[in-house]
Amino acid sequence: MKRLLTPLTYLCLLLCGLLFISPVGFLLIGSLKPDDLVLVESGGWRALWPTSASLENYRDVFTRVDFTRYLLNSLFINGMILGTGLLVNSIAGYSFARLPWRGRGLLFNLVLAVMIIPLEAIAVPLFYIVSLLGWRDTYLVQILPFIANAFSIYLFYTYFIGLPRELEEAARIDGAGVVRTFIDIIVPNAKPVFASVAILTFLTQWGAFLWPLLVTSSEAVRPLPLAIATFHGLPPLRWGDLFAFGVMMVLPILSVFLLFQRLFVRGVAATGIKG
Amino acid sequence: MLRYLLIGLAVLLAACGEQAGKQASTAAVIDVWAHAGQASERRVLEQQVARFNAARKTTRVQLTFIPERSYNAQIQAAAVAGDLPDALEFDGPFLFNYAWQGHLQPLDGLLAARTLEGLLPSIVSQGEYLGHFYGVGTFDSGLGLYARRSALETAGARIPSGPENAWTSDEFVGVLKSLASRDPDGMVLDLKLNYSGEWFTYAFSPLLQSAGGDLIDRGGRGTAEGVLNGPNAVTAMRILQNWFVAGYVDPNVDDAAFISGRVALSWAGHWEYPRYAAALGDDLVLLPLPDLGAGSRTGQGSWVWGITRRSGNQQAAARFLEFLLEPDEVLAMASANGAVPATRLAVERSPLYGVAGKLRLFTRQLLGGFSIPRPQTPAYPVITSAFQQAVADIRNNGDIQTALDKAAGLIDQDIRDNKGYPPPD
Amino acid sequence: MPDRKSSSHAGRGLTAFLLSAPALLGLLLFVLLPFLLAAALSLTNLRLGSPLPLEWMGLEQYRRILHDPTFRHALLNNLLFVVTVVPVQTVLALALAVLLNQRLGAIAWFRVLFFMPVVFPLSLVAVIWVLIFAPGPDGPMNALLELISFGAWTPRDFLHDEQLALSAIMLTSIWQGTGFQMVVILAGLQAISAELNEAATIDGAGCWQRFWFVTLPQLRNTLIFVVLVTTILAFRLFDQVQIMTQGGPHDATTTVMFEAVQTAFSRQQIGRGAAMTVVMFLVVLLLSLLQRRIARQQREVS
Repeated sequence: MKRLLTPLTYLCLLLCGLLFISPVGFLLIGSLKPDDLVLVESGGWRALWPTSASLENYRDVFTRVDFTRYLLNSLFINGMILGTGLLVNSIAGYSFARLPWRGRGLLFNLVLAVMIIPLEAIAVPLFYIVSLLGWRDTYLVQILPFIANAFSIYLFYTYFIGLPRELEEAARIDGAGVVRTFIDIIVPNAKPVFASVAILTFLTQWGAFLWPLLVTSSEAVRPLPLAIATFHGLPPLRWGDLFAFGVMMVLPILSVFLLFQRLFVRGVAATGIKG
Repeated sequence: MLRYLLIGLAVLLAACGEQAGKQASTAAVIDVWAHAGQASERRVLEQQVARFNAARKTTRVQLTFIPERSYNAQIQAAAVAGDLPDALEFDGPFLFNYAWQGHLQPLDGLLAARTLEGLLPSIVSQGEYLGHFYGVGTFDSGLGLYARRSALETAGARIPSGPENAWTSDEFVGVLKSLASRDPDGMVLDLKLNYSGEWFTYAFSPLLQSAGGDLIDRGGRGTAEGVLNGPNAVTAMRILQNWFVAGYVDPNVDDAAFISGRVALSWAGHWEYPRYAAALGDDLVLLPLPDLGAGSRTGQGSWVWGITRRSGNQQAAARFLEFLLEPDEVLAMASANGAVPATRLAVERSPLYGVAGKLRLFTRQLLGGFSIPRPQTPAYPVITSAFQQAVADIRNNGDIQTALDKAAGLIDQDIRDNKGYPPPD
Repeated sequence: MPDRKSSSHAGRGLTAFLLSAPALLGLLLFVLLPFLLAAALSLTNLRLGSPLPLEWMGLEQYRRILHDPTFRHALLNNLLFVVTVVPVQTVLALALAVLLNQRLGAIAWFRVLFFMPVVFPLSLVAVIWVLIFAPGPDGPMNALLELISFGAWTPRDFLHDEQLALSAIMLTSIWQGTGFQMVVILAGLQAISAELNEAATIDGAGCWQRFWFVTLPQLRNTLIFVVLVTTILAFRLFDQVQIMTQGGPHDATTTVMFEAVQTAFSRQQIGRGAAMTVVMFLVVLLLSLLQRRIARQQREVS
């Protein structure tokens, strides 16, 4: 469809793109400005121009909260969810997609049904359960409930279903067991779906607010999104600091995305997302 | 690439594992939770804890700051999990709910009589439930109208000398009108609309009382029907709504309406004094809220300290509260957050709240019966949530009777559902 | 040796089950069980922290919420949100994906650009957009509208305007979500074989004809997926409401999830909040069954 890309559509796309990205620009530029200028200059071109740039706000963030602590907590919690989640959900997806066992169909339908239950809907009962288990205010309580993920299983399932059967047949003839086959044959052929699931997991978990608010109280285990409450809830509002915090909060996730971007698109293309 | 990710993960795991497993001490540790307020307030509390710990060998206070947003939800969650600390700070009006739920230990037997005697009456009334004293504040709050004296003089407004001769409602509207005629955008009043949650009950329920209404019937039934949606309350809210309709209220998104000079009047608490005084200097004047017929009324109550029933260190926790109530400590906190010190002794010694102090109005309001505590009932969480919703609707030009009927219905339903909150055995 | 074969088959079955066991256990313990518990609690008067004994209420909580105008408003808002945001976002994403489905250097940057908002946590997005929708002529959105209308626009307070508040939240959500759908559709586009398009071109099909008769039918499954996921997410709408409008003005932006969280946490009425989430679950379940059925029928037709 080369013809679609006339100079006019290109220009249009460029304009749309700039408009689209302007809130990000507003955030980035605002984070460099003194607090009182952020709002004063928000109504015109100066919103997107660093009239008086400094890294003062970034320094403020580090002095107002223990940013490093929160960042490490977030990285640790998300890293654990990611690592264990990829393992647990991929083998489940594989088992549903490729291995015959009784009750498989029924359980898979259950997984699909569970997919539509949001955390907010079950936060209170789940909270009672973890309280009974005595898990409050730990890393564990922020990790364990989020490892098994119906949507991830579904993505793995659809990807594995699309892989050619011959791959496994060859391994089976060589006498490899299920686990061997999975590790040696399936995983190397499934990098894109691992990348997609990883990014999607990261996207949903990184901003988690409600759950950690309920189950944690000490700074030692609290994640980044709770620290932002310290900035947003307290008058006088210092917009510059808030923006700087926002930029720093997004950076890890943005870099993960940029790093795996290619794989991600391929993974999405190859999974059931396309049907 | 996955490999690098895994290596990174392992490094992180190791780093966090190390940090998690420290701390060991022989002293009895008292866990204390406080709200993460303004930086200056936090700093003083940290210093106080350090002083307390340095003076004692046998007990050590371990302080945790909890973000203010959703504070109640966090406390409730911890309570369900049996995870409350030994002592904690909470917003005053929630005391009755916590006490009713059985989370708090009466302080009557724990704190020294000497400590209790010197407290301001407003602090005592805010802490009492069913004949026991459950929570003690080291400071109280003040609510009033900060004004730019020069602007008022230009507008030809009378400057009230105290809560006894506050502006009447008509007079107030006259002032607004006169100010607006000299203002480029006509917005001359800051109601701190940028705040959220409890502010709206704290700041605007005094209007109900000033018009002869209230949030609930405090005498007998304790219900809202006929009071919160009665004619007096409707009148009060209509007056409030008219300020919005006339376009006098600045949305104050940047929280700088007053200090940047956009408005001449700011409806705000004591905590704004340091910032306002720095920006306006001698031009700053503090006025009582307008009188809607039954006298000027204002808010009171702030954060208070309580000791939990399940704490194993109640005596030690009580010593910590007594320490916080020592005159020097009370004054240290009051000078950090600008609040009204909680003891008579400290008030008289305070440069701001003493006889010639700039904020003497707040003291007079608290001691002279002009301030009204928010309803002292376990139903308070629902009352405030319902009223906040009503104020939001009224602000957005909604029908006043409908909004108040809805709020009263919600509150009374809750009271019925809880069998009228019977006193615990 | 038939025996050995069947025993190894049984062994494989066990291994297969064991592979899915950890995930199933997790879902059971942390999603299904709490949900069943929520369903059970919705039949009681449970209140957070109440010392009063728990009471069985039957379907009373459901009767109450279905008679509560605010809750009905919330349901309606959710539906309104779904029927607006899902089509708009999908069409926008489709348009972007078709435009960006090129193998040129600069195009890759555009993809990153349009995907960028997706990586922002919703709470942060909401805070930025509160500022964008700031009232008065200095608010960025007001300023922009004034600029493109050559001064005809009078500044509005978007988030406190009954007519505009929900649209403002919709715009925020579309901004944040379109990039994700775009990538998904882009992936679907890249899976369409080039021969199909070439064949159509040889048959004399124009640009639009190729789009309608080749591209769209090939994308059907992708689009069904996209619509399903967006619908589910739309029903979960919470963060933006919480930060931007608190459900107001006059319930114009309240949603089922916001009401449920508000009820459970601010008013401590767990039973009632649980009933709300169960209603939401049923609605979403119904919608996704419906969607699946339509998808299946279409499959049979084609």
